Amino acid sequence: MTEFSPRIVAFCCNWCSYVGADLAGTSRLQYPDNIRIIKVMCSGQVFPSYILKALELGADGVMVAGCHIGDCHYVSGNKKAQERVETLLRVMKTLGLDPRRVRLEWISASEGVKFANTVKEFVEEVKELGPNQLGVRE
Amino acid sequence: MTNIGVYICHCGTNIAGVVDVEALAKRVAKLKDVSLARDYKYMCSNPGQDLIRDDIKHRNLDRVVVAACSPRMHENTYKKVLASAGLNPFLLEIANIREQASWVHLDKEKTTNKAFDLINMAVSKVRMDEPLTSMSANVIQRVLVIGAGIAGIQTSLDIANIGYDVVLVEKEQSIGGRMSQLGKTFPTLDCSACILTPKMVEVSSNPRIKLFTYSEVEEISGFIGNFKAKIRKKSRGLDESLCTGCGLCQEKCPTRVPSEYDEKMGKRKAIYTLFPQAVPNIPVIDRASCLYITKGKCGVCKKVCPVGAIDYERGDEFIEEEVGAVVVASGFDPFDPTSKEEYGFGIYKNVITGLQLERLLHAAGPTQGEVVRPSDGAVPKRIAFVQCVGSRDEHANKYCSRVCCMYAIKNALLIKEHHPESEIFIYYIDIRAFGKGYEEFYKRAQEKGIKFMRGRVAEIFEEPASRNPVIRADDTLLGMVTENEVDMVVLSVGMIPRSDSSRIQKMLGLAASPDGFFMEAHAKLRPVDTLVDGVFLAGTAQGPKDIPDTVAQAKGAASGALGVVSHKALLLSPLISEVDERLCRGCGDCKDVCEYGAIELVTLDTRKVAKINPAICKGCGSCVVACCNGSIKLRNFTDSITFAMLEAALGGAL
Amino acid sequence: MKQIIKRTKAYYCVECGKCSGSCPVARVNEGFSPRVIVERALSGMKGEIEGDRELWTCLTCEACTTKCPSTVKFSEFIRGMRSSAFNSGYTSRCSQGGLLHSIQRVQSYRDLVQNRLQWISDDLKTSTEGEVLYFTGCLPYFENLFSGFVNPLEIARSTVKILNKAGISPVVSPNERCCGHDLLWTGNVETFQKLARLNVEMIKESGASRIVTSCPECLRTLKLDYADFLEGTDIEIVHISEFISSLIKNNDIKLNRAGIMTYQDPCRLGRHMGIYDAPREVIKSMGELVEMNKNREESSCCGVSAWATCEGNSKQMQIERLIEAKSTGADMLVTSCPKCLIHLRCAVHNQIPVEKEKVDIPVVDLTVAACRALAGE
Repeated sequence: MTEFSPRIVAFCCNWCSYVGADLAGTSRLQYPDNIRIIKVMCSGQVFPSYILKALELGADGVMVAGCHIGDCHYVSGNKKAQERVETLLRVMKTLGLDPRRVRLEWISASEGVKFANTVKEFVEEVKELGPNQLGVRE
Repeated sequence: MTNIGVYICHCGTNIAGVVDVEALAKRVAKLKDVSLARDYKYMCSNPGQDLIRDDIKHRNLDRVVVAACSPRMHENTYKKVLASAGLNPFLLEIANIREQASWVHLDKEKTTNKAFDLINMAVSKVRMDEPLTSMSANVIQRVLVIGAGIAGIQTSLDIANIGYDVVLVEKEQSIGGRMSQLGKTFPTLDCSACILTPKMVEVSSNPRIKLFTYSEVEEISGFIGNFKAKIRKKSRGLDESLCTGCGLCQEKCPTRVPSEYDEKMGKRKAIYTLFPQAVPNIPVIDRASCLYITKGKCGVCKKVCPVGAIDYERGDEFIEEEVGAVVVASGFDPFDPTSKEEYGFGIYKNVITGLQLERLLHAAGPTQGEVVRPSDGAVPKRIAFVQCVGSRDEHANKYCSRVCCMYAIKNALLIKEHHPESEIFIYYIDIRAFGKGYEEFYKRAQEKGIKFMRGRVAEIFEEPASRNPVIRADDTLLGMVTENEVDMVVLSVGMIPRSDSSRIQKMLGLAASPDGFFMEAHAKLRPVDTLVDGVFLAGTAQGPKDIPDTVAQAKGAASGALGVVSHKALLLSPLISEVDERLCRGCGDCKDVCEYGAIELVTLDTRKVAKINPAICKGCGSCVVACCNGSIKLRNFTDSITFAMLEAALGGAL
Repeated sequence: MKQIIKRTKAYYCVECGKCSGSCPVARVNEGFSPRVIVERALSGMKGEIEGDRELWTCLTCEACTTKCPSTVKFSEFIRGMRSSAFNSGYTSRCSQGGLLHSIQRVQSYRDLVQNRLQWISDDLKTSTEGEVLYFTGCLPYFENLFSGFVNPLEIARSTVKILNKAGISPVVSPNERCCGHDLLWTGNVETFQKLARLNVEMIKESGASRIVTSCPECLRTLKLDYADFLEGTDIEIVHISEFISSLIKNNDIKLNRAGIMTYQDPCRLGRHMGIYDAPREVIKSMGELVEMNKNREESSCCGVSAWATCEGNSKQMQIERLIEAKSTGADMLVTSCPKCLIHLRCAVHNQIPVEKEKVDIPVVDLTVAACRALAGE
């Protein structure tokens, strides 16, 4: 039996978390290859519906990574991201989808180590949760 | 139907060492709408760029994907290639298969698969990207400089000398800043006023510099190339146009209060100038201490003024200036060591700060350059300097304040040369003599017999009878705790951000570094830019530094500002949000979330709809999500594009 | 397309234009004309219709259908064409960034275990098996998203309270799925069918012979569009307004006076299902009814259908309806559809293009108003 390898999608903001991911690269830090990054300008650009759509399309975990609160390049986009993710988690709870499949993280441009560690952690957590049932064809 | 060209870079072995680039190219070529897929050693090189250029021309490509290093490296390079081949530069996407794949994963097969997904995601996006044109905005070819210390002065002179106008706003009544408070500067022992005042005079006489003193910028609106600043010109209590600077009012004023400029080491009058060479040489009436204003008595200055300039009721003036760029040179404050209770500042009279000593040493200071101690006015013979007060300290400021070692050594040398019989101790942890001539200066101080004691001072207490301070410190080189009774202690306090820096920060939308100083756009490569386009930094507002570095940075900021205002028009990024007027319900939620005030509600027939100012919109996308019915779209980042990318990321549609 | 034309009798069209003249959307949108769409269909222009943005603008409110002298079933025609367009790869818009249709689609996964009964407080009596099933619909999800200006779950609580008062402990199933109305009307027939099958399984398991719902869209869907799936069963499906009306007639409950009310006929309850009187009887038993100018078959749609048609003109329609309601002098505008409630309240909860006083009439759900007015509470 092949081990379950989760499919993770991450929305990373152009000014902080995407740069942090690049820094993990230049520092040659290793992390699992399960993750695919979509670069957005700001974490506040991520619709709650994008996260649910990702799950509908078969993602086992979705990460939204932005700047630390107070450091958003656009002042408060990350605060909005937080509110919007919270709305989505309410919907997910009602739907019976495990909210642990969604992870909101603040990663600065200088936190390459945090990026790599977050991916490692998240992949392990999602492995425990098992495959996203929505991705299973009937 | 589009013709997409995909270019996969080997980046030497950086990518090709892990990703099977040839197999990848073959696989990618099979994707829908991909007309060709190539792999090449170094896409960013000239031959690499030529590959793309030629294919656009001869193979009719209308979209390009480059799979290589992070877009932050070469996106602009490839955009220029597209433009030079006649293709809209926004029809380009970069797949980051180095920093985010080959450099972080080991398994070759899995990494190649990931690279395929990342390329597929880029292809999905580029397929739906629309060609965009940068818009042009007119630039107001003037610069606003906030702060007229040496940094603001240097920046203004550089800009004016190149031929552009400057609006220079200084909060205090005279320009000159902290440098004017200093006596002699290290390591040359130049007289600070001697080197500063010529520049001050140059500023006042330069026709291109519009100087506002005793003024503050209260509000700034707008964007790069088009800022509008509201300046409050505070009332001096007199008519400046009449004042000749004769000084009679100051002479005759009966009131004496502690002088802030002298760091409370001396007194000033209620109507006063800061220092003899003040520019402008016009006094200010301190409304809090003036007898006429507070009690209706006195009025002597008005009586003696030969030109009748005194006008107690005069109010503040408000001026609006339009500029294209802003330089923030608002300076620093010295750390207040009161919170370091173990040092007894504010309790023991003979414990003073470095800046207070500076005023005593100043030839035109409160004691005409003679160092005397506060408790009894005696000349101290044994003086101790305490380094790193409030710096390199988890309980105060974590950073090293850079200049304190040098200014302590300088002042120690000055005192020693004036009073060779004095005994001077400098208690340090490390001596940081980093600059040109600094290490030699330090050696000179040692040769003169200044004693360097390695140990962070733990406590200062007082001998009650003599008011002599006693220093207790662990002398780490000797290996024993020592107590040293001296006549006076000087605390080498560090630089901290000015008390009004958070107001300026909010006003301009700037970020602050963890140390509280204004944050530069990039620690190494953009030391004078900020993340707000058109706003630059100069001097200690950005962090502690000495005069040579301040002047160098000021010249850099001038160059940055000139980079904006030397053009008549600027190109603005077209990657912004747009409103579909038919869908818009005029609910205003978008306007509420926009941090830049880029959105207004306007009337369209009988409805209200949102309107986005393309020159202000930063393309952050907050309004796009706030709009509940999808009336706002972010150009080249629509829902369809995101869903297509998600499908590609998850290995194709289910 | 030929099938769709046949099924909906579009070939009877004589291009009289009565439809476009009655259409609330055509009134403000020049690009939208029911007559033109039918004309194109009859000329075989399948591709043009499918690719046309305006295909998705129709509110399917049936203002045209009610008026068409040739009995063309225009709203069903649009539904059919949308399904055809969907299969060609076109999709409708959806508010909230597509979240609502996502939520509905997710509910079509068999193994999903939802968490949708949290609203059932201790004072409400429900069962796992029984004769009467309360079909809640999407109310828990609306509560998650719109609780800023409306309380959808209050409708659910009020419904159960009233049923309890009538001595009924309804089945409220944790395995209920979205009825699929929105997906059906925006062309996604396949997912609608998945939802229908899962709901019918759930209904059969409950043993119910009667289904009560507080949403006219669920009502229409269960009664008309689930007909094939429910074949062979003899299940009665009623709207809560019909149920309350009969309780009042039988003196099983009494309502106190709540004020002067005017009433918004929801499209699905009124024109689609022909239920105009039951809600009015309920209103009259708790106060006076003042009719708006456009009422019953003439009632104007609340402006948004299936979360897919919200645009600038929708707000126009909502504001006009509220002005009409306010000018009747009634104390409140009552409606018996959660969607009408949400859309009408949404129109005024942020910026409005007219003075507040013209539109500030409270909008209230019929079941909630009746529950509050229950005598002996």
